[in-house]
Amino acid sequence: MERQAILRAEGVSKGYLEARGAGLVALEDLSLDIWEGEFLCLIGASGCGKTTLLNIFAGFIEPTRGRVLLRGKPILGIEPRCGMVFQSYALFPWKTVRGNVEFGPKMKGAGRAERRQIAQRYIDMVKLRGFEGRYPYELSGGMQQRVTLARALAADPEVLLMDEPFAALDAMTRQVMQEELLRIHEESQKTVVFITHNIDEALILADRIVVLSARPGRVKSILTNDLPRPRHVTIQLSPEYARLKSEIWTHVEEEVHQHLEASRYAAAGGG
Amino acid sequence: MVVKSSGGAQIAALEVAAAPRPWREWLRRRTRLVLGLLSVLAFLGIWNLATARGWISPVFLPSPAAVAAEAGNTLDTGELWRAVLASSERVFAGFFLAAAVAVPLGVLMGVWWPAKAIIDPFVSLLRPLPSITWIPLTILWLGIGEAQKTAIVFMGSWIYILIYTIESTKRVDPLLIRAARNLGATDVALMREVILPGALPGILSGLKVTLAISWSCVITAEMVAAQTGLGAIIWRAKDWGNLPLVLVGMAGISVTVLVADTLAELLERLLIPWERRRPR
Repeated sequence: MERQAILRAEGVSKGYLEARGAGLVALEDLSLDIWEGEFLCLIGASGCGKTTLLNIFAGFIEPTRGRVLLRGKPILGIEPRCGMVFQSYALFPWKTVRGNVEFGPKMKGAGRAERRQIAQRYIDMVKLRGFEGRYPYELSGGMQQRVTLARALAADPEVLLMDEPFAALDAMTRQVMQEELLRIHEESQKTVVFITHNIDEALILADRIVVLSARPGRVKSILTNDLPRPRHVTIQLSPEYARLKSEIWTHVEEEVHQHLEASRYAAAGGG
Repeated sequence: MVVKSSGGAQIAALEVAAAPRPWREWLRRRTRLVLGLLSVLAFLGIWNLATARGWISPVFLPSPAAVAAEAGNTLDTGELWRAVLASSERVFAGFFLAAAVAVPLGVLMGVWWPAKAIIDPFVSLLRPLPSITWIPLTILWLGIGEAQKTAIVFMGSWIYILIYTIESTKRVDPLLIRAARNLGATDVALMREVILPGALPGILSGLKVTLAISWSCVITAEMVAAQTGLGAIIWRAKDWGNLPLVLVGMAGISVTVLVADTLAELLERLLIPWERRRPR
């Protein structure tokens, strides 16, 4: 039986016109199927169009060519069924933690009691009970990131899009957040598309890891990560982990070198 | 000191660096207050000395005591209170009318470019006109009653409110708009939940600035044609050669505007609790 992808990119290209009229191709002819319930990590050198791809999935920007399908239907505008967890949090500063998390349910027309109940569930899930009445500026970066996650989950999207959500966090907070996210993924069974440039993060989190090539972004390789779940940091000590890591690294390394070459060339010849 | 061991420690160090030690802050605030008071007292002392010793003739500057006596008089007769009240009523009528027109219009112009394109030429042409230039026309149209004073305040205020509102509306973080859309917000919800609260701090600070401008408008209007109000007091006192009363009128304006400004600040803090702890 043919499995239908929940999210599908078909020959997606995206070019930008730069200030001086020069074109920049962020993505070129990228095709990718994302399966229901999976945790997919997109990994690649900086500037390979990862964020562009995620923004196309969310409907924030349109591809120049190709299309993106959600459950077989093309995405034409901003798509609430693809919930975005922003790297810079994007919390509403005038709303409390509860107000922020209630936003999605409120937009769906949930009553006061109902949305309060939904919000409480996700606030508990990200372990922020007791902070419901605080404003974002009163919270640390890690806590704000958890609010963003709870807000996205409370809106009950079909796919969670996460753009390097933990990049701004310190190493320890980051590790705790990764474990939380795994637990939440397990609980909610939501499809997650997660951008990172950190191989360890991808190996801890993902079911499948997609390595993107340097600009213009294409799918370079797709690796299945069958490290046993539930995963814990100690998994990093297993030989299987080391093998996967070095395999991904060879794919990524080529791209990083290519990217560096390209920028050196541009710097020397561009003038 | 540089802490590089971990992001958390670094953030903590930054927070400590950013928040001044409370007792120091307290001391500085007290010192500032004392210095301010001393400087005012010194000014009054020099003024008093200059008039008492006859360095300055009372024809040009009355003594502080004479001004204080005049202030006592006008307070006793209730003249000063009535003037403050009359001017305040005009300011608030004109100011609220201007806000009622300019805030909604500014929001519309901020979110919908055709509205901005249509109204912008008039804003550009009207903005350079001081409110005083409207006096001949408004007297012709409205006479010299309350409506005319209100109109002068309105004409002198609405454009500033409009400009502040447009700017604040356009400056709402586009990322927050994206986030709201992504969470399923419709146009109406986006306006109510994101654009209005996002623009509110800017709109309020614009209103606060404009309130002071409204006061200068009403005083101008009253100096040209009015029987009541602080501006009228000053103008009449000039005609009578009552210099102390001129100064009482001027001080009356200062104090009233200061009080209005303090009230506006309180209201602002009440309306935007999420900005309460931002440094000002």
